[in-house]
Amino acid sequence: MVSDTDATGMTAGAAVSRRMATRLTRARRTGRRRWSAGYLLIAPAILLIALMMIYPVVQTFYFSFNRVQLPALRTTFVGFDNFLRILRDPDTGPLFRRTLVWVLGGVALRIALGLGAALVFNAKVRGTVWMRILVILPWAIPSVVGANLWRWIVQTDVGVLNQTLRNWGLGAWALNWLGSPDTAMWTVIVAYAWGGFPFVMLLILARLQGLPEEINEAATVDGANWWQIFRYITLPSLAGVLTVALILEIVSGINSFDTLMIMTGGGPANATMIWGIKIYKTGFTEFNLGGAAALSVLMFAGTLAVFVIYGLANTRMRTRQEEAL
Amino acid sequence: MSGSIVDSVPVASRRSFWTRRRLNTVGKYVLVYGLGLVFVLFSTLPLLWGVTTALKMPGEVYAFPPTWIPKAVTFENFIAVINNKTLIRAFFNTLLIASATTIVALIVGVLGGYGFSRYRIPGRTALLWSVLLTKLFPRVVVIVPFFVTLRNLQIMNTYQGLILVYLMVTFPVAIWLLKGFFDKIPVEIEDAAIVDGCSLPQLLLLVVLPMARPALIAVAMYSFILAWNEFLFALVFTNGLERRPLSVALAFFIDENGIRWGELMAASVIMSLPAILVFTLAQRMLVRGLSDGAVKG
Repeated sequence: MVSDTDATGMTAGAAVSRRMATRLTRARRTGRRRWSAGYLLIAPAILLIALMMIYPVVQTFYFSFNRVQLPALRTTFVGFDNFLRILRDPDTGPLFRRTLVWVLGGVALRIALGLGAALVFNAKVRGTVWMRILVILPWAIPSVVGANLWRWIVQTDVGVLNQTLRNWGLGAWALNWLGSPDTAMWTVIVAYAWGGFPFVMLLILARLQGLPEEINEAATVDGANWWQIFRYITLPSLAGVLTVALILEIVSGINSFDTLMIMTGGGPANATMIWGIKIYKTGFTEFNLGGAAALSVLMFAGTLAVFVIYGLANTRMRTRQEEAL
Repeated sequence: MSGSIVDSVPVASRRSFWTRRRLNTVGKYVLVYGLGLVFVLFSTLPLLWGVTTALKMPGEVYAFPPTWIPKAVTFENFIAVINNKTLIRAFFNTLLIASATTIVALIVGVLGGYGFSRYRIPGRTALLWSVLLTKLFPRVVVIVPFFVTLRNLQIMNTYQGLILVYLMVTFPVAIWLLKGFFDKIPVEIEDAAIVDGCSLPQLLLLVVLPMARPALIAVAMYSFILAWNEFLFALVFTNGLERRPLSVALAFFIDENGIRWGELMAASVIMSLPAILVFTLAQRMLVRGLSDGAVKG
């Protein structure tokens, strides 16, 4: 926490003295209110953190080094056995690759669609508000509903997609979308992107509408075409919001479960089995809680790595900006 | 800057610039409407197909070629859903769990948010960050430890158990959102109330809560929708029909005759209504909150 003496070290100025004044009144206020009441107020939150964050983390690490037997959850220490088993499993490599395809494919599609839609709907054209509301709808419906909807649409024999293709004489294109290992992954990725791109669109749209329009007009007068404006003015000013969208989407991609579980359940022939589904299957259909815990620890490390990389990139970008100034 | 450039351009070329611009406007309309329509179709055609399926007679659901507008509109599927005891049970399970999660999240959020906003207690910053950290925990990663916790507390397959795990996702948001709101409310009003002899519970109920209504509504909507839509926790922490929420019931909507798609789509429409309602009301607010938090975090 910042102490009051820090402020005196700064340059004198009205802003600083005002800030100091508020800090002093706040300090006086704090004196009037007792700490005990403060702790009482946040006690439920602390209880929840202890029960559902600290305990679970400890538990997961502990489990990952043990063999856990149901129903009594009796543990036997096995060292790194769970991890070694994952490493030696010939299916771990493909599992990791599929997770990567899922996350990168889903994120790329969501951001591409979201950015495209944001650019279209940012244009000041009358009568596009209703369009914007309709486009947002897939994001508003529950993921379970979206997944079932797409499962129905891409049904091999009676789904509307294949029926329409057959009706148009394109019967050869009517594939077994979810039933064939070649197409299952990308079919689910499209459904996943469909449900999530409006959120990316809203994020980017909020940023776009905060941009001053004069710059674009000035560039047009100077003879810049739309591509140059997009490449050298719009895109650089979207860097921040795109990074945020990227991080949020990567984390939600690693985390995603609903769409895959409902549409394919990891099949056919493991073609859509990604890390998260594997944790669920290992823990709750094979009842190997130790193995599931080890998979969880590895996945958590992966998510943490994304955050660390983001943090590093962020600080490096900031220092570069400061150097440029 | 732009002004000086325009002034330096000769008059003739400035005029051609404006004609060009008028042509551009027409082109822009065509382009924006065209591309916009592509996105609208991508978003709504699947939804439209679901709704028409729900409104069709069983025979027409599988008709070839597919019909986008039902030949005969029927509410048969909706009636079948309402008469389906399993689904109705699931519907009320979800309603109960989502409502209870919302109420508890509001209580924890108001107390915690107010405590963090107004009391500079030791360890405040560390605690605030650990609240946020709980939110960042991947949900798939915590199913094993949560399963063990719920078993140890003997609340597997109960309403309390599901409410507790949903709370883990909603309370960090509740606390951060409400703390941010309380920070912006001037303290002077509360100070005056304290001087007048107002006790802490009175202060919260009579002074603070009425002022925080917008933030309370936002937290309530967020918690309710999250609990209403959630699937993973519901799948892992319930078994059997007794406590099963709607999300799990719809995911495994299958019987000896296979999936009756008309009924499934009707049930999906019903399940989507609260979410669509809340999202249209709140989309602006939610996105602003999300992006703020993400940028600052």
